[in-house]
Amino acid sequence: MPHAAFTQEQEFMTSSTNDKGTTTPARWMRLLPAMAVAAAAAGCASVPNPTPEDPWESYNRGMFQFNDTVDKALLKPIATGYRQLTPEPARTCIHNIFNNLGDAWSAINSFLQGRGHDGINMLGRVLFNSTMGLGGCIDVASMNGAKRISTDFGVTLGVWGLDAGPYVVLPFLGSSTVRDTAASASTLAAGVSSYTPIMEIDNVPVRNSILGLAAVDLRASLLDADDLVNRIALDRYSFIRDAYLQRRKAQVRGSHVDSDAPYGAAGSLPDYSSDDLPDYSDDDDAPTGAPAAGAPAAGTPSTAQ
Amino acid sequence: MSFSFSAYAFALIRRLSACCLLGLGLAAGAHAQQAVDANAAPNDFIKTVGDNALQALKQEPAAKRGDLGKINELVNQYVLPYVNLEKTTRLAAGRYWRQATPQQQKDLVQAFKGTLIRTYSGALSKVDEVSSLTILPFRGDPNADDLVVRSSLSQRNGPAVGVDYRLEKSPQGWKIYDLNVEGIWLIQNYRNQFAQQINQNGIDGLINALNQQNK
Repeated sequence: MPHAAFTQEQEFMTSSTNDKGTTTPARWMRLLPAMAVAAAAAGCASVPNPTPEDPWESYNRGMFQFNDTVDKALLKPIATGYRQLTPEPARTCIHNIFNNLGDAWSAINSFLQGRGHDGINMLGRVLFNSTMGLGGCIDVASMNGAKRISTDFGVTLGVWGLDAGPYVVLPFLGSSTVRDTAASASTLAAGVSSYTPIMEIDNVPVRNSILGLAAVDLRASLLDADDLVNRIALDRYSFIRDAYLQRRKAQVRGSHVDSDAPYGAAGSLPDYSSDDLPDYSDDDDAPTGAPAAGAPAAGTPSTAQ
Repeated sequence: MSFSFSAYAFALIRRLSACCLLGLGLAAGAHAQQAVDANAAPNDFIKTVGDNALQALKQEPAAKRGDLGKINELVNQYVLPYVNLEKTTRLAAGRYWRQATPQQQKDLVQAFKGTLIRTYSGALSKVDEVSSLTILPFRGDPNADDLVVRSSLSQRNGPAVGVDYRLEKSPQGWKIYDLNVEGIWLIQNYRNQFAQQINQNGIDGLINALNQQNK
């Protein structure tokens, strides 16, 4: 049984590395042994009740472990050191500049999703922060109470109707789904992503330094969330997986963005009565208040006016 | 575009003046905790509970430094009385709730309480002196007894965080039973973890695991 799972995972990994191989084949090939070891280790773990969205749980847990090891040994210490050594204003500035690039990408994707209202808001945020905010250094838009509606090409594919597919933990990059992996790989290969402006830099050492800084900044910005997960998760793997999947669904649904979807009757509310609870209704407080919560996602992926 | 641009500029000025006013208010230190009316309109109820908690956090130097023990204590004092712990735990346990004996149910609620406090604290840990809670316009049926109040919590560094509260009307008035931070519902996020623990080690195993975390 572990062997069958192993081959399946190997096939998946091989095909996905081929996608990415178009950019840096050599580097990805070098990763293969490490991934094979992780996958083999994963093959030993047995998962009694796999979650429907996570059929590759045993492989994923292995990769999660691998990422965690790399993180503990390398990324987290660097990010912690960066946070301790860099004065807060400088760190905030750097963080905001990278976020500004991400916001531009979000704006484009909002338009691709047909969410023109979000797109204009995000475009306004980018223009405002790029000028008044000195190239994104100061997040003046947020100071004005403007919300960030972050989205990406994976969400766009979801809005276009593509199913997320199984959950998958990528080496080094962490949580993803088949759809989101395909989205990142294709945008990276096509040379359009939030990192495009950095990739355009001709001076390779400068470009690579900036990419490295982006990675450190990203990891540093997650230090607090990481601590929180350690404090509240019973099982880090499940917690992160379920949070990732919920968050991605919310982004595709656009519910926290779309103020037009009424609550109470909205399909965006989780319906805790819907799973196999035949006699739930005779409970002392039957879930009378969430009548339509089981209704199929209200069918309106929100084109906010 | 030019419209949204000037709107931003206008909002900035308004925001700056609001900051100054807020600063004055804090300097005066004349804020008193408001009495919470659990039978008020849901938006007002959340606004009062949230404002009281925010104010308590802002007035406590240890909490502002990020002292988690202190933040947990304040959350326990200002938020937990309005949370229906039993319902949160019951829904997180799902169908396993009925398999538990009344004693196990009681123990489970008690064991989960610590996690819930830490979760609510997590949602409030970024509070600084400029933080404020904005309740978004209520949508849906105001007469429903199970509804969602949406809010947005602003902070100094970074955009406002969307936090939604799911409420239920009880004989004692409104009670919060679920929390959503940026699209992630609390109960939803614990269902698989609970099921996993119960499948492996039974309900007592889950209670033990939760208590382990509380240490």
